[in-house]
Amino acid sequence: MVERAKVKIPKRAKKKESKDEQEFPFDISPMYEGERVRKGDMFVELGGPKQTGFELIINLPARNVQDMKSTLVGDDLDGLEEGKSYPYAMIYYIAGSQLDNDIEPVVERRNHDFQNFIEGYMHLNQRYDIWVRINKDAMKKGLKSLNQIAQATMMLFKNEMPFIEKIEALYITDGDLVKKLLDEYAMPVYEERDARVETLHDEDVDEFYSCTLCQSFAPANVCVISPDRPSLCGAITWFDGRAASKVDPEGPNKAIPKGELIDPIGGEYTGIDEFARNESGGGVDKVKLHSFFDYPHTSCGCFEVIGFYMPEVDGIGFLHRGYPNPAPNGLTFSTMAGQTGGGKQIAGFLGVGISYFRSKKFIQADGGWRRVVWMPSELKERIEKYITDGVKDKIATEKEVSVIEELKDFLKAKNHPVVTGVVREVDGEKITDGWVEEKEVEEIKEEVPATQPEAKVTEMPVAPIPQISMIPQSGGIKLVIKNASIHIEKIIVKRKDEK
Amino acid sequence: MAVIAVTGKGGTGKTVISALLIDHFSTDRKVLAVDADPDSNLPEAVGIKDYSTLGEIRELFQQNRDSMGTISKEQWLEGKIYGEAVNESKHFDLIVMGKPEGEGCYCFVNNLLRSVLRKLMKNYDVVVVDCEAGLEQFSRKTVENADYILIVTDTSKKGLATAKRIIDSTEELKLNFKNIYLVGNKVNSNGEGNAIKQFAEKEGIIFLGNIPYSEKILELDFRGEPITKLLEDTELNNHFREIFKGIGGINDH
Ligand SMILES: Nc1ncnc2c1ncn2[C@@H]1O[C@H](COP(=O)(O)OP(=O)(O)O)[C@@H](O)[C@H]1O
Ligand code: SF4
Ligand SMILES: [Mg+2]
Repeated sequence: MVERAKVKIPKRAKKKESKDEQEFPFDISPMYEGERVRKGDMFVELGGPKQTGFELIINLPARNVQDMKSTLVGDDLDGLEEGKSYPYAMIYYIAGSQLDNDIEPVVERRNHDFQNFIEGYMHLNQRYDIWVRINKDAMKKGLKSLNQIAQATMMLFKNEMPFIEKIEALYITDGDLVKKLLDEYAMPVYEERDARVETLHDEDVDEFYSCTLCQSFAPANVCVISPDRPSLCGAITWFDGRAASKVDPEGPNKAIPKGELIDPIGGEYTGIDEFARNESGGGVDKVKLHSFFDYPHTSCGCFEVIGFYMPEVDGIGFLHRGYPNPAPNGLTFSTMAGQTGGGKQIAGFLGVGISYFRSKKFIQADGGWRRVVWMPSELKERIEKYITDGVKDKIATEKEVSVIEELKDFLKAKNHPVVTGVVREVDGEKITDGWVEEKEVEEIKEEVPATQPEAKVTEMPVAPIPQISMIPQSGGIKLVIKNASIHIEKIIVKRKDEK
Repeated sequence: MAVIAVTGKGGTGKTVISALLIDHFSTDRKVLAVDADPDSNLPEAVGIKDYSTLGEIRELFQQNRDSMGTISKEQWLEGKIYGEAVNESKHFDLIVMGKPEGEGCYCFVNNLLRSVLRKLMKNYDVVVVDCEAGLEQFSRKTVENADYILIVTDTSKKGLATAKRIIDSTEELKLNFKNIYLVGNKVNSNGEGNAIKQFAEKEGIIFLGNIPYSEKILELDFRGEPITKLLEDTELNNHFREIFKGIGGINDH
């Protein structure tokens, strides 16, 4: 953990202080959000493509923060030349009894919002990319000092985020100091935060986030985004969900309190189950975040990668969008995706985002990497470094095999865990029996397609997963409907009585 | 802020007329020009050479989103758009939509994009959108909230048929435009001009005027020079001003 401390301001530095300002020579309103200061209208540019700049929130103990004080180190606006660019750092120290270092990035991204409420002041980007332009008109209206900007911003922080009990600002335009602090003071904090993405786990947080952006075309779908399960479309992490829900709690990303942990390995929580039940209108009863077969996460069709079960080898393959050829099971991405979208739980298929392969809990309930038998080489290369030790070379790609028979030989030759039985990494439980004698497999296979009247199937002893035949190879129907919107209250499908 | 979408069949002169409109409005108002045709040629028509497109930025986002750590993706996108995709020229700004999306899920990025564009558009008095030919722009939602529609037609049957389809689909889709305007382009004779005028009257939309077939336009196009050079000719300039004056509403913004 990078130690949080105040910046030591050099003794001889040019310094200006201010405290508790209430009156400002500019308007403050959300109306100014998105205000663009064009090059021709700008008085000066701070940070941006030509100069170093950064912004940083530092969480400190209350006794170290002087509330509503701002300090400017370096030249103030009256010392800057019109039309030029200057270095710029904005550091805020915050304190509050509910605050911890994890909240820093959430608070930090609001600097952008609040500064954009200030008339005549454009704030773009974040962290070390910040880019500020001040309008000439703002100067005409009486803007004199960057301390005024700091004071107004702090006021907004305290109004809008009441959990910030104290706030103090340090703004810097002294180029050498900005550079030095960026390297030595700010960068380690940014790096630490990014490392959190990899080290933060489901059990470390109280809330997950939902996403309903795709309900326009998959009305029953709800994505659940947790630290260990980024969105299946690849776009949204738990951090994005948290930030969005803080800004707009009723928007497409809502907080889901986790509730009780029901299944630590599958990743099932009472809070998620309840949420899924409500949002899916009863269509989905339970969701296990890290399970492939048992109550898997639903898919709206946006997934970057599709996982598919191959009963012949009792293993799972993954295929990414854009890979044109069929997988060893003979099916292409789009064929399988067509079966899986629409917000349903389909046993044997699972849509995931590429970043889910980084997860420590990657389909852990069903054996994690030890259950993975095939993926295209392009995908494998991208995520290679996240594959569990000892399995990497046992996962085939299109370079080694193209059909099931070849895959079987490959897995056997490599002694892949599925051949002898997968022992789950997370708890050491042996979850598959491994391959049975060829003959027996053959027999079982024959039993399944002979699907007798439904009632009988359910009477059969609970079918082990390898026997599920996912796709009707014949006799099924396929509907392709384009550009249609269909509303159906109820569908009843009945089998004709054969007399 | 008023958004005017310039539509019509391909090749009727949407881009030429968009360029002239942009010039017309930017003498005294803040104008954002939007090239919403994937086969962008508005930049050349208004004399802008180097530009990046929203499509390129969207792709960049898709490629980089996995490595964005805890930074805000909306701010990332907004910064790129404000910093790189808003092309500032002296009197107006231009954004180019560029190529449509590729494979994969664009729900999230498009949602962010719309929110950034909504904020950006607030900065301007007038937004002129040079649309893709035909009706595509309605399904793509590039012109989410156009206030005015300007349909360009030439004298061909096809040009007028497309105009008719645009009018019909605005009704079907219940798009609430304040006004729909019609401009006739490449008009050679009074007879042709009158036919276009009558079409507008029959459809109940506002006829703004006819623009004659002009070798000068072709010549500028051929030499790759901005169409706005046309306005050096005072007579033509006056003619266009006269036509665009008819765009009520916007002229009050
Ligand atoms: N009034 C006109 N007289 C002669 N040529 C014209 C006229 N208006 C447009 N053109 C030419 O017609 C072609 C198509 O015009 P353009 O504005 O690119 O159409 P669109 O944008 O509708 O596809 C261009 O080569 C252009 O120079
Ligand atoms: S696929 Fe992505 S954008 Fe769509 S609902 Fe899920 S998380 Fe949201
Ligand atoms: Mg065009």
